[in-house]
Amino acid sequence: MIPELGHILVIITFVISTMQCFYWLYNLRYTNIDVLRVLQKGSFINFLFIFLSFLILTYSFITSDFSLLIVSNNSHTLKPLIYKISGVWGNHEGSLLLWVLILSAFTFFVSFKDSINSKLLASIIGVQTVILSLFLAFILFTSNPFERVDEIPLDGRGLNPLLQDPGLALHPPMLYIGYVGLSVSFSFAVAALITGEINKDWARQMRPWIAIAWSALTIGIALGSWWAYYELGWGGWWFWDPVENASFMPWLVATALLHCVRILEKKLIFINWTILLSILAFSFSLLGTFIVRSGLLTSVHAFASDPSRGVFILIILGISIGVPLILYTIKSSSFNEEKSNFDIVSKESAILVNNLFLTTATLTVLIGTLYPLFLDAINGNKVSIGPAYYNATFAPIMAPVVFLMAIAPFLNWKKYTDKNFIKKIIFLSAVTFLGGILLYLIEEKSIFALICGSLSIWLFTGVITDLISKIREAKVKLQNIKQIFFFISKINLGIHVAHIGVAIFLAGVTGEQFYKSEYNVIKKVGDIINIGTKSLKFDKIENIDGPNYNSLMATFTLYENNKFISKLRPEKRFYTNEKSQTTEAAILSDFWGDTYLVLGEGDNKTGWSLRIYSNPLVSWIWAGAFFMAVGGILSVIQKSSRFRND
Amino acid sequence: MNAKYRRLFITIVIILTLGLATKLILMALEDNIVYFYSPNDLIEKFGDTKNIQNKIRIGGLVLESSIKKEGKKTIFMITDRKKEVKVLFKGPLPDLFREGQGIVAEGMFQNNNFIASEVLAKHDENYMPPEVADALKKNNVWKGNSD
Repeated sequence: MIPELGHILVIITFVISTMQCFYWLYNLRYTNIDVLRVLQKGSFINFLFIFLSFLILTYSFITSDFSLLIVSNNSHTLKPLIYKISGVWGNHEGSLLLWVLILSAFTFFVSFKDSINSKLLASIIGVQTVILSLFLAFILFTSNPFERVDEIPLDGRGLNPLLQDPGLALHPPMLYIGYVGLSVSFSFAVAALITGEINKDWARQMRPWIAIAWSALTIGIALGSWWAYYELGWGGWWFWDPVENASFMPWLVATALLHCVRILEKKLIFINWTILLSILAFSFSLLGTFIVRSGLLTSVHAFASDPSRGVFILIILGISIGVPLILYTIKSSSFNEEKSNFDIVSKESAILVNNLFLTTATLTVLIGTLYPLFLDAINGNKVSIGPAYYNATFAPIMAPVVFLMAIAPFLNWKKYTDKNFIKKIIFLSAVTFLGGILLYLIEEKSIFALICGSLSIWLFTGVITDLISKIREAKVKLQNIKQIFFFISKINLGIHVAHIGVAIFLAGVTGEQFYKSEYNVIKKVGDIINIGTKSLKFDKIENIDGPNYNSLMATFTLYENNKFISKLRPEKRFYTNEKSQTTEAAILSDFWGDTYLVLGEGDNKTGWSLRIYSNPLVSWIWAGAFFMAVGGILSVIQKSSRFRND
Repeated sequence: MNAKYRRLFITIVIILTLGLATKLILMALEDNIVYFYSPNDLIEKFGDTKNIQNKIRIGGLVLESSIKKEGKKTIFMITDRKKEVKVLFKGPLPDLFREGQGIVAEGMFQNNNFIASEVLAKHDENYMPPEVADALKKNNVWKGNSD
């Protein structure tokens, strides 16, 4: 009976939210505080019901209720609890319910922001509710998570072993918070088009939502990349796989939006562009969700697809992207921009260039992702586009962005006034030049390694220089929490932290891309393998039973300069229930890099094939992403504290 | 600065950037696309493998009892049940590489041997790379469920 209750809750929410949409549209011209109150109550009820329904589905997974189709297809009694829970979103139907849960949560949170103008807020809730209602219809008519089976199986079919991993348990929820979080700025934009009103407060109110979504998206993408690195056993962290691109494109657009909206907070210019970016960011999220789920692009992410869903997906995409774009073409010319004459060397210009390059970079990724599909449709040619394409297009377009990222924060709004600007640039150039020489002396690699590494040094120095000069200018005391918050707000610490994150990330990329080394060897138990100053001793290989798998585990001892460092235990796991095999690499991480060891095929007589990677600075890649996300969250805190101080 | 000149300046920058990006994209698409063929398509299209200079992908099933190991080198045949191509690969094979498994090999031809730089197989044994599934369907040897 309990799953039926979950199903009924989804049906009721669908009815309520649809009624809410019509209520909103009916009262559009006469929106007053009473209408807003009704919409607010509605969004609370929607959130509550979806939340309960999600809890019920989770309960069914935890208790292994195999009378539910998706539980029997994706779960197993022997699976550890955390993977029973993550199994909820490890399938098409459950992941959609999670999507809708996050959407209703965001709608609920934004609906009680009474500081937003009530007419605008009513429309924001309205737009959010339309999306909610569309997705609920999609769930109810094509992807019901509470569908029963006729014959209850004795046990479930289990979850793909590759997905049984703690990093991956969190990857989809974070990614979805990012995707769905962008719906809020989308709704702000569409609401502005509907009400025809836009002001600086609109931009100020919108920015924290973008920052939250952007931070979550950053973490979500980083978790996916980290998982690919340690789980797939190839030592790579980004493959320009279409599915990765699908999550990366909304990130790029959201990054552009996050910067662009800061201009609008200061002065009412570039209104249309900001609105367009807000619409595009969420459109890319929707495309991302559906490209991945539709099976159009194949990967571990593609769940079994059902053609009847395709039409529905097209309808949802058509309404949620098409209608706002039509509204945009009709209404966007009606906004009055302020007159502004900013200098060519000013923060406004820098942000414009940032936006231009970020959107161009998005375009290169979009073309790389869709071109194979396009070619297949045109003449049936099957092609694949790999990293080489992106190195030739995306990288050269992003290099100037990083270059500017270091010096743009020096600039003032509107006017070029900072007399120290040139001085700072000379300082940066000197440090970068020395750093470049050092890099060259450490080990001579390609010119690209030099560019990539130097950009990281350039950016790092730039952020530190800016931070020091801002601290000097701010002249604040740091004695209690309030003053610390005030200080953070005064110097926009979030920006510095996020930009430092990019510098750290780039350092990691330089190490991993250009300085890594790979060894393929065949060794027997007792052998010793020398890698640089390190050596690995092959101790033993044995069979070990895990909770729902059997493992072939090898044990190695890692020495550096004949000093014991650590044991390494690479495995091959055989998941008997799912009848599949995974390779578990043994990874030893420290500050300066990873030793990554993979056990291959073999036997005790001829030896075992082993792959060893030395990946310098690789963990900086994810550390950088973490800093970026923290920067994003800091900018939200900074904003709220600034309002308090105003 | 005068608003009119600023607008002109911005427009020029946008056009230059987009122009440069287009150029980069077109060049990259020309050089870095890897075409996919089944063994049969490959022989039909090119006849002799000497005519193939570019990096390509070949997909199909690993022919039964064709796998030979010579130290680190693995030699096997990819088949679409019509034609076969011999593949040489040095390096680690994916977890699910086995006879009858659908795989994709990326590499180049050297003296009629296909030297693979990468061998891809998916992680789920029921899963078939879509290109391979298509190629097998074309030759009416597809036995799997229809997607």
